[in-house]
Amino acid sequence: MKSEVLYPGAFPMVRVELEAGENIKAESGAMVASSPTIDIESKMEGGFLGALSRKLLTGEKFFFQTLKAARGPGEVLLAPTVPGEIVIMELDGLNEYMVQKDGFLAGADTVKIESQMQSLSRGLLGGEGFFILKISGKGPLILNSFGAIHKIELRPDQEYIVDNSHLVAWSATTSYHIERAASGWVASFTSGEGFVCRFHGPGVVYIQSRNPGGFGNWIRQFIPVSE
Amino acid sequence: MTPNALCFGSQFPVTGSPCHVEITPSGMRVRLESQPSEPDDGLIPFSNLSVSSGGLHHDQLVVQWSADSDRRTLFLKDPEIIRSFRETAPKDLTGELEEAASKVRKIRRRRRMAWIAAGSLVAALALFMWFGSNVLVDLAVSRIPIEWEKKLGEAAYRDFLAQQTVVKEGQAVAAVSEMTRRLTERISDDPYEFQVTVVRSDVVNAFALPGGYVVVFTGLMKKAENGEEVAGVLSHELNHVLQRHGLERIVKQLGLVAALSIVLGDQQGLIGLTKQVGVELLTLRFGREQETEADVTGVQLLHRANIDSHGMIRFFERLSEQQKEPIEILSTHPMSAARAARLKAEVAALPKQTLEPFTFDWKAVQDSLAGS
Ligand SMILES: [Zn+2]
Repeated sequence: MKSEVLYPGAFPMVRVELEAGENIKAESGAMVASSPTIDIESKMEGGFLGALSRKLLTGEKFFFQTLKAARGPGEVLLAPTVPGEIVIMELDGLNEYMVQKDGFLAGADTVKIESQMQSLSRGLLGGEGFFILKISGKGPLILNSFGAIHKIELRPDQEYIVDNSHLVAWSATTSYHIERAASGWVASFTSGEGFVCRFHGPGVVYIQSRNPGGFGNWIRQFIPVSE
Repeated sequence: MTPNALCFGSQFPVTGSPCHVEITPSGMRVRLESQPSEPDDGLIPFSNLSVSSGGLHHDQLVVQWSADSDRRTLFLKDPEIIRSFRETAPKDLTGELEEAASKVRKIRRRRRMAWIAAGSLVAALALFMWFGSNVLVDLAVSRIPIEWEKKLGEAAYRDFLAQQTVVKEGQAVAAVSEMTRRLTERISDDPYEFQVTVVRSDVVNAFALPGGYVVVFTGLMKKAENGEEVAGVLSHELNHVLQRHGLERIVKQLGLVAALSIVLGDQQGLIGLTKQVGVELLTLRFGREQETEADVTGVQLLHRANIDSHGMIRFFERLSEQQKEPIEILSTHPMSAARAARLKAEVAALPKQTLEPFTFDWKAVQDSLAGS
């Protein structure tokens, strides 16, 4: 599998070349176009119950799609729903990443995707929901963001504070705590950005330059209310 | 040598350098992938190391030491290596770690207990809703579209009629059609198109399938003393359909899991499930509560249609009194004194009705059935 980002910027697409017999997993709905040699199967990653719990508890799409070069080599064009950047990472088999559920676009067949339940406080306060994806294995992993993707590099014991709605993915060697951004609980609940994550290195944290929730609020004021 | 750990340091990439770690009695041997031959063979004595737990879930062993005027940090995730490190390293090194590990274990256990408690609570609630009340069944039934119910009932109806002698025309059919019309006219927002078929059989019974498919046996018509008695049974049966009692029984027979999956959105599987479990629609027995409900709503419907509701009560009473041979309608609708009393009270509570007699002559209807 070879992949390349086309039209880098706000509206990119990724082209993935598959050899005969090769598979990739993609977020369902991500496929834009493909060679006629590619077959699409909807596969429930993590078994039926896993998929069901993901659907029920995260509101996430039930299936990942498996795109298979069943009848000879071919290429697939993939794109995310929201405007924003695409990054291709190469997993080395040792580094694992936690990915916020909208951040996953596609991954090689050798990449393992698990839903992981967050601890109660992180799920409630973290803003990424109770479930996040834990991605391990070896091979290319394709992430997408809302806005541009920015990579924060943390040396051992180095810390960084990130607004949780801007999180895309982070390496499992980091640890983090949820903290209040403003002092006083009332301020935390009333100001839009109530909670932040304090990350502790080593590892990398990928953040997005726009906040999907904030954008939703901003755009809502222009939608006429019909009675 | 496949790498089994990540090594961090100021000259290494920020996501760490893959390296191979081996535990020896005197220390830890670290071989970096990028620099295969370290001068001292990469052996770091235990005395130079400090350990802690780290990573997102505190499940990684973090080992730190100084080398080349730099602080190195190693993240170990492989459970085999972590185990051999803990077994081999001197106690003063791992003591603190064991303490931290037991703290993490305690937190995990407490958290697991909390989840188990929450889980059992949900399960207990579901079980209570299942056995203690019909909330879950009602919820599931309300999610099943009428169209599905019709498909389900129609298939069983066709199968049944194919093996029976159907009375296609004549006074009996005309009389039953008149009763059906009088009753169904009075049902508000009726999503069903009731089909009532007269079947030649000495069985004293009538039954309704989900979706509005009703069968009246000629045996019932022969035993009845007037049209109001048959209309009473018919009204009762129509109300089993309107209250969706058949579906409630099916959902109950299919079980808790099926009901939950219907509630949660998978109605698609219902027809398949019905076949799988082998529910025989024709042998469905209604529960006592359902019978009472069909009785009460049946009497109300008769009242709206200006048909004498005493006919239904009298018919049941007479059959139960003079019961010599077992009569089918009593086995599916056992008539108890309490049931009759409840029905009488129900009728008494309704405002006075102006009765509208049927247009057919009941004796003539019965005579038309006698010959065959
Ligand atoms: Zn009944």
